[in-house]
Amino acid sequence: MNNLKAFFPYVRKYRREFLFGIVALIIADCMTLVVPWLIKEFIDILPQKPAVEQLLKYVLFLFLISLVLVVGRYGWRKYMFGLSRKIEFDILNDLFSHLLSLDRLWYQKQKTGDLMSRATNDLRAVREFFGLGILILIDAAFVIVMAVTMMIWINVELALKVFIPLPVVSILFFYFVKEIGKRHVAVQEHLSKITEHVQENLSGIRVLHAFVQEENEKNKFKKLNQEYIQKNLRVTQVFGVFTPTMVFAIGVASMISLWMGGRAVIANDITLGSFVAFNGYLMLLSWPMMGIGYVFNLTQKGLVGMTRVNEVFFAKPSIIDNGGDFTPTGKGDLKISGIRFKYPNELQDALKEINLTIPCGQTLGIVGVIGSGKTTLARLLLRFYDPVSGDIWIDGKSIQEIPLKGLRDYIGYVSQEPFLFSTSIRNNIALGRGNASDSEIEKNVEIAGMTSDLESFPDHLETMIGEKGVTLSGGQKQRIALARALFKKPSLLILDDSFSNLDSEMEEELLLKLKTHFKDTTKIIISHRLSTILNADNIIVMEDGSISEQGNHSQLVKSGGVYASLFRSQELAREMEIIL
Amino acid sequence: MLLNEDHRYKDWVLFKRVLVHLKPYSSLVALAILLLLAVSILNLAGPYLTKVVIDDHIKAGDMKGVDVIAGVYLSVLVFSFIFQFCQTYLMQVIGQKVMFDLRSKVFSHLHKMSFSYFDRNPIGRMITRVVNDVEVLNEMLTSGLILVFSDLFTLIGIFCVMFYLDWRLTLVVCVVFPFLVTATRMYRVRARDALRKNRIHVSELNSYLEENISGVDTVQCFNRETKNYEKFSSVNGERLKEDLRTVRYNAFYMPSIDFFSSLAIAMVFWYGGGRYVQDEIQLGILVAFIQYLQKFFEPIRDLAEKFNIIQTAMASSERIFELLDTPEQIPESVPSENDFKLQGDVEFKNVWFAYKDDRYILKDLSFSLKAGESLAIVGATGSGKSTIINALCQFYKIEKGDILFDGHSINDINKYDLRRQISLVQQDVFLFSGSILDNIRLGNQEMGQEEIESISQAVSSHNFISNLPFKYEQELNKGDISSGERQLLSFARAIAADPKILVLDEATSNVDLETERQIQNGIKEMTQGRTSIIIAHRLSTLMHVDKVLVLRKGEVVEFGKRKELLQQKGIFYQLCQSQIRLEQSKVEK
Repeated sequence: MNNLKAFFPYVRKYRREFLFGIVALIIADCMTLVVPWLIKEFIDILPQKPAVEQLLKYVLFLFLISLVLVVGRYGWRKYMFGLSRKIEFDILNDLFSHLLSLDRLWYQKQKTGDLMSRATNDLRAVREFFGLGILILIDAAFVIVMAVTMMIWINVELALKVFIPLPVVSILFFYFVKEIGKRHVAVQEHLSKITEHVQENLSGIRVLHAFVQEENEKNKFKKLNQEYIQKNLRVTQVFGVFTPTMVFAIGVASMISLWMGGRAVIANDITLGSFVAFNGYLMLLSWPMMGIGYVFNLTQKGLVGMTRVNEVFFAKPSIIDNGGDFTPTGKGDLKISGIRFKYPNELQDALKEINLTIPCGQTLGIVGVIGSGKTTLARLLLRFYDPVSGDIWIDGKSIQEIPLKGLRDYIGYVSQEPFLFSTSIRNNIALGRGNASDSEIEKNVEIAGMTSDLESFPDHLETMIGEKGVTLSGGQKQRIALARALFKKPSLLILDDSFSNLDSEMEEELLLKLKTHFKDTTKIIISHRLSTILNADNIIVMEDGSISEQGNHSQLVKSGGVYASLFRSQELAREMEIIL
Repeated sequence: MLLNEDHRYKDWVLFKRVLVHLKPYSSLVALAILLLLAVSILNLAGPYLTKVVIDDHIKAGDMKGVDVIAGVYLSVLVFSFIFQFCQTYLMQVIGQKVMFDLRSKVFSHLHKMSFSYFDRNPIGRMITRVVNDVEVLNEMLTSGLILVFSDLFTLIGIFCVMFYLDWRLTLVVCVVFPFLVTATRMYRVRARDALRKNRIHVSELNSYLEENISGVDTVQCFNRETKNYEKFSSVNGERLKEDLRTVRYNAFYMPSIDFFSSLAIAMVFWYGGGRYVQDEIQLGILVAFIQYLQKFFEPIRDLAEKFNIIQTAMASSERIFELLDTPEQIPESVPSENDFKLQGDVEFKNVWFAYKDDRYILKDLSFSLKAGESLAIVGATGSGKSTIINALCQFYKIEKGDILFDGHSINDINKYDLRRQISLVQQDVFLFSGSILDNIRLGNQEMGQEEIESISQAVSSHNFISNLPFKYEQELNKGDISSGERQLLSFARAIAADPKILVLDEATSNVDLETERQIQNGIKEMTQGRTSIIIAHRLSTLMHVDKVLVLRKGEVVEFGKRKELLQQKGIFYQLCQSQIRLEQSKVEK
């Protein structure tokens, strides 16, 4: 119920349209109900050999009713369906905006595909509930009540006889809908199994092909697929009985109406016209009978959809923006004191008691094996996570008290696999700020060493990236991401293994340019390749979430610890880069 | 996007291609259509029986006759029930079978693609093809197509019955048809346009949404929340516009059908009523006419509702066929041989290779290895080391030159035969869900547990596996085993395939010292008696190989026996010198 309540404001916004829609619907329904009565009058008058004018009166009357009917139907379609589309539009907008406000901890628990299906399929179910669902419910309820009333009014006894098979319809409906729902869940679950299989197959396709597993995988897939069909057919078994049963039950009702009605006419209990009208009302009933079940179905789907959409809406970011108007100047030091951090669902701390000071304008190098906590540290600086204990100070202010916007303007972060948007290269670089002059962009492109690459692209800066445009190499992506970060003019630049796809010549060139053009910028460089951080003012070695060694390059080599052995094992690679 | 979305395939071409997939089941389809026809005809019985009751029995006051007709009606209903059940079930069976075929076909076709295809296409998109698009197509086959048939039958059936009952009245009723046709045409043209535009907006909207979800870190890092929201909202608005346009068209068209229906009934009132007065027509016929006319417009309304489904299905089938029409880049040139075995001689002869256009990554590369020899490839980032592996396994096609195995050209060897003889160990180890056992015997499914254990022992992976709670039956989850252990596991996997040629991309610095030592041991064990090609990142590796290839920007700088290269005092010599220097400095300390 809470789930439903969350959507009321969206409906309330369009309550006028909602009201119009309902009124139009009722008008249309009334007109529909008048038609059989009109036919009754017509048939009853025929044996009295009416004059042409009298017939024309009926024609005219029918014509008028149709006109009102058309207007009514037009009205409810326009207002009710339009309303549901508008509600969907509003919800989707809010959903998007809310998604952008959620933090990494939340996203780590989600799958993109699942979020997408919430925003598309589930939202569609919600829309259909508010449009179609409510519509059919009102329509069906109104028509059933009215038609049944009319039928009873024509002849109580006949009506009671005809209604005998109808409760069966409703009972069957509830049973079927439940059963179909249950079996449908099995189908859905199996489909996600298939999706997972395909996903894994495609992710590991290079290994599979190297081990010539194509046939095996095809067979496995076939088996999964076969099972899927079985499950689908189990739905069909119920469904196949369901629709014909509905038709049958209603058919039996009209058979009884024909049979008993026919006898009643002969016995002079009702007129022929009433007999025809009775049949007409029965025909009007057949759709709402099914409609009720459809509503049940739509409601079920709609409620599931609402729950799933609400799971997103109810998620709260754990990173709280405390606002304020403090803007870090970039003149002070960066101080990390006693930071501890643990990922949820993990037993071990990812970071244990990190203490570190990076003086303004200096460069810190970080090395360590995968999983030692380097990237986690960088993400704490960006406040993608908040530490369990300890704090980070910028310009003497705790980052908890710096507005998020200010903090993120302060830091330029380049990750190993940067995310570029499928828009032009220019838009990607100017991501951080709206007003970008060409010369400014070109300057950063130059520093990032992309100038000659850009010249080889068809539209230079305007070249589109991704599906619609060029495919970039890993190195090109990393350099565009660098240009993008530099364009922000950050006071703190974090390079998280962001040169891994560049050769050492290019890397050296970039490091040199960074040094001359961004002299005053504090830099944190995380790298697997030691040559990248050789000249850093301070280097830390991270192991299992804590700092195991600290010092500059020569100190660390001399001390003969992890850094020294790492340095030695990279000797060949380094020499190759130098000599070759 | 707009262009290739619009006119790559024509609708009827697509439709025909979908229908082709029904061919294997043509007799079932024929039966289903026959049943459909029967159901449609039986469903027409109601009004006709009403006519008979009114004209033949009520008029004559014949109660018995009414009872008989009721009995006939009941049996019609029973048959209709049976036929409809059979038809629904049969159609689902057919739809499921077609979906099965199509899905297997798409999946198989994906497996035929070479690596360059996977480089270009994001995984998410390929999954959508295999899973969702096929699903939509099934919906079109089972509900869409069949309903079109049944609606058509109903329409024709009603028309015929009406014509039989009274052809004059039928012709008069036909007056509304031109209006109906005109309205339908106007609706179709506009609705299709709106739906197409809508589809483009929806796909744009979805890809923007997906992009923002995947790149949410970047969005937040660059404070783009407000700007991206504005863009999303404007695309969403565009979609809403087209949505409302569709709603409006429907809101006009659907009631117009009701209007025409009433108009037709008015015709019956006027013309039919007039003729009844003149005793030219019976009352029952008028009643039946009115009832038929009410049924007549249902299928038309139905068809319009189905229009949307069919349009969506068209888009899906278009994407599926686009994938199926992507040619296989490396076709199987020669049939597979049953007992194909390599000795292990490998020769690269003036090989040229480019991933794109004429930006050559390998330039005139030549080298040769005798069976059982080991080769270390050294070179800087981007010098083409991994490309050599890709060409060797025929993951990509080489432009010029040739690669010879035991003196046979790579083009004369079946690519699957070839890959069975080569094991590849990569830096980033990809493990599949399933047990450790399954992962090790990936290339050789029949291998027994004992054999696997002995292989694991040889490559030093047995130890850590024995320490896992379920040992070899352990299901692999993320984070269970370290990256070094994953590497060792991939060694076992490579050896279990019993290759003649071993290709190894040495892992860089991601492991601790102890694991590194184990890995080195493993490598030594693996290369025994096999032709092996190692992309070397560690000096220690260089000390164990027979031959060395020094690569610079896709060209061979030095190639030869390790010992000879050392004597030549070239680049390789320099590389080794620095190692010796380092060792000395350690000793001095």
